[in-house]
Amino acid sequence: MKGDKNYILAFLLPAFLLLGTFVYYPFLKSFYLSFFRTNGFFNKKFVGLDNYERLFSDDLLGAATLHTLEIMLYVLIFQVGIALVLAVMVDSISKGKQFFRTVFFFPIVISGAAISLLFVLIYNYQFGLLNGIIAKLGFEPILWMSETGSLKAVAVPTVWHYVGFYFVLFLTAMSKIPSDFYEAAKLEGIGGIKKTTMLTIPLILSDIKVVMILAITGTLKIFDFVFILTRGGNGTELLGTYMYKKALVDQNFGYGSTIAIYIVIFGVVLSLITNRLLKREEVTY
Amino acid sequence: MKKKSQALCALSVATVLLLSACGSNGNNNSGNTGGDASPAPSPAASTSPSPEASKAPEAKDVTLRVFSTFAGTDAAKPAFQKALDDFSAKFPNIKITNDAMSANDDSFRTKVNTDMSSGNEPDLLFYFVGADAKGFVDAGKVVPLNALLDEDAEWKAGFNPAALDAVKQPDGNIYAAPLTGYYEGLYVNKDIFKKYNLELPTDWDKFTTAIKTLNENKVIPLAAPFDQSHYLIEHFVLGAAGGAGHNSGILDAVNPDWELGLSKLNEIGKLGAFPKDAATIDLNMAAKYYSQGKAAMVIEGSWAQGSFSDEVKAASTVLPFPAIPGGKGDGKSIIGGFGSGFYLSKSTYDNADKKDAAVQLLKFLTSPDTIKAIAQANSGTPAAANVQVEGLPQLALDGFKMASEAPTINAPIDTQVAPETFTTIRQHIQGIVSGKDTAKAALEAAQKIEVANKK
Repeated sequence: MKGDKNYILAFLLPAFLLLGTFVYYPFLKSFYLSFFRTNGFFNKKFVGLDNYERLFSDDLLGAATLHTLEIMLYVLIFQVGIALVLAVMVDSISKGKQFFRTVFFFPIVISGAAISLLFVLIYNYQFGLLNGIIAKLGFEPILWMSETGSLKAVAVPTVWHYVGFYFVLFLTAMSKIPSDFYEAAKLEGIGGIKKTTMLTIPLILSDIKVVMILAITGTLKIFDFVFILTRGGNGTELLGTYMYKKALVDQNFGYGSTIAIYIVIFGVVLSLITNRLLKREEVTY
Repeated sequence: MKKKSQALCALSVATVLLLSACGSNGNNNSGNTGGDASPAPSPAASTSPSPEASKAPEAKDVTLRVFSTFAGTDAAKPAFQKALDDFSAKFPNIKITNDAMSANDDSFRTKVNTDMSSGNEPDLLFYFVGADAKGFVDAGKVVPLNALLDEDAEWKAGFNPAALDAVKQPDGNIYAAPLTGYYEGLYVNKDIFKKYNLELPTDWDKFTTAIKTLNENKVIPLAAPFDQSHYLIEHFVLGAAGGAGHNSGILDAVNPDWELGLSKLNEIGKLGAFPKDAATIDLNMAAKYYSQGKAAMVIEGSWAQGSFSDEVKAASTVLPFPAIPGGKGDGKSIIGGFGSGFYLSKSTYDNADKKDAAVQLLKFLTSPDTIKAIAQANSGTPAAANVQVEGLPQLALDGFKMASEAPTINAPIDTQVAPETFTTIRQHIQGIVSGKDTAKAALEAAQKIEVANKK
């Protein structure tokens, strides 16, 4: 059995080295930097817990956290929801499954930046696509990126971009359900919506849980849509963009790192809560 | 068991190979920055590096990386590429990697700073002078050009002395060889003003009257973004505080004139001065509103002229930002100067293989001919002495006239304060305009940051 141990070590080593270099080392470095006041790339001064104190009095960070939670809500309801609905529908058809799978998955292949630029041209007040149509119909143009509506406007491409990913995950999970479950349901006369809510969804609940955690942690990383569509204006500043601005625009890597640590803790706490809320016995088949 | 250990062996060999591949890369990099340990040390030793930089280097292949912001929509991009091509044609042994990144965003600053601090310096770097360069200049990543300039009288004489003076770092040395200067101002579409019988905004009353009338007629009076409000801040402070006040910084106290200037943003905001979507657009979009004739005014730099549509360019003039009543502004001073230039990396200078080629390229890129070509393209002020740029549109001539009549030409605030201080002001602009925030609160918050950064 000693040989097995060596094997385990040998196989783990490359992954450990890569992870260590690109994930754990930067993380620890961020933690280290969070105790410094940095001014550009060349000067830093030890400030103890100053950056952490600042976290608690930073109104902009508080606002960014709330905006992130709001967009997380949209993502959980619409991104996961639409993905689930689409997956159920595609799963129940017999022809063209492959076609729809490709079509719905496609937006993920496009880069977020490209989609954002597309939506800049759709939403623009002066010569955007939407206002162009509205003007043609003879109505007053609408300010899509208003003070209250900007976050929702940003949520639309965000949701659309990743629906396909969760859709494919759901579809794969559904295809793993043995067909005898459905045959039994058929004999009992269960079909339609009832079959979906009583049979399919409970059976893929563990996958739904994974998708929700992915969606939650994914929201913490949203960056391109906000940065290109609104630049964080009109109440759309999210944690990701705020951290970027502090670290890279302001060149205050110390405080930027502190925000990064905050985001990690925030993400872990949210994932734990989700896990706890969805705790149920795992279904095995 | 034996098989197992063989497999284990194979695996560890593979891992070692993988790692050593990474390792040798790292060595190459550090070798370059270390200077002496160049990738091919023996040929370097055989050709003695000539101190005379103007002498053509012997035909040995050298690759130079030039980082600049002549990319994307920059008006001088083709002219710069042509200059590099001309150089390559003259010296076929010198290969040039044109590593350019658009200056529309702040990301090129990150790129430059990362490169400079991680031992991946470009051989020549086109970048800002002043606060932006302070970090890598103080760290000794670039060489002072004073000695090189003194050695080559012809090269030095090619520059306008005022331009060389303007790019000096606080330590009195010249690290960046200037190319073109710039000015910022209030661009006005005369056709729109004529259409609504408005006088050009040469003073504050005319400016506010124009805003009122234009807003009533559904023309955007002043195209400006709130997030990238650099030009708004600079000009409202300049209009209220004048040149000296503008340059006084914010470290010791909040200048009441700054407060006056920024509070005027609220006043003109109430008159409907800004586009409806000012909170979410960027500088590019604001300039687009102007260049497509949807906005009557925009505060921009001389470099933006190249992107205006021909029709709007012909109808435009550029004016100094009007003085704000109750302040110290003179209504004639402008933001501008020679804010950038070519830096020569220390690692390149110490590398006997590259030094001569890099110096040669530097001299070529800052020769009067190249400067003229670039100035022609970006409507900037040539940094070369005795260079007359011909065939300029009236708008550019208006700009030069404005610059020549300005009592003070000031470097923008964001080259004088810490980046975080300036963003703090920027973050408050939307609030000031809408009245949710005050100029006083914004400047006090910014001062706190400035103190934390500099004291």
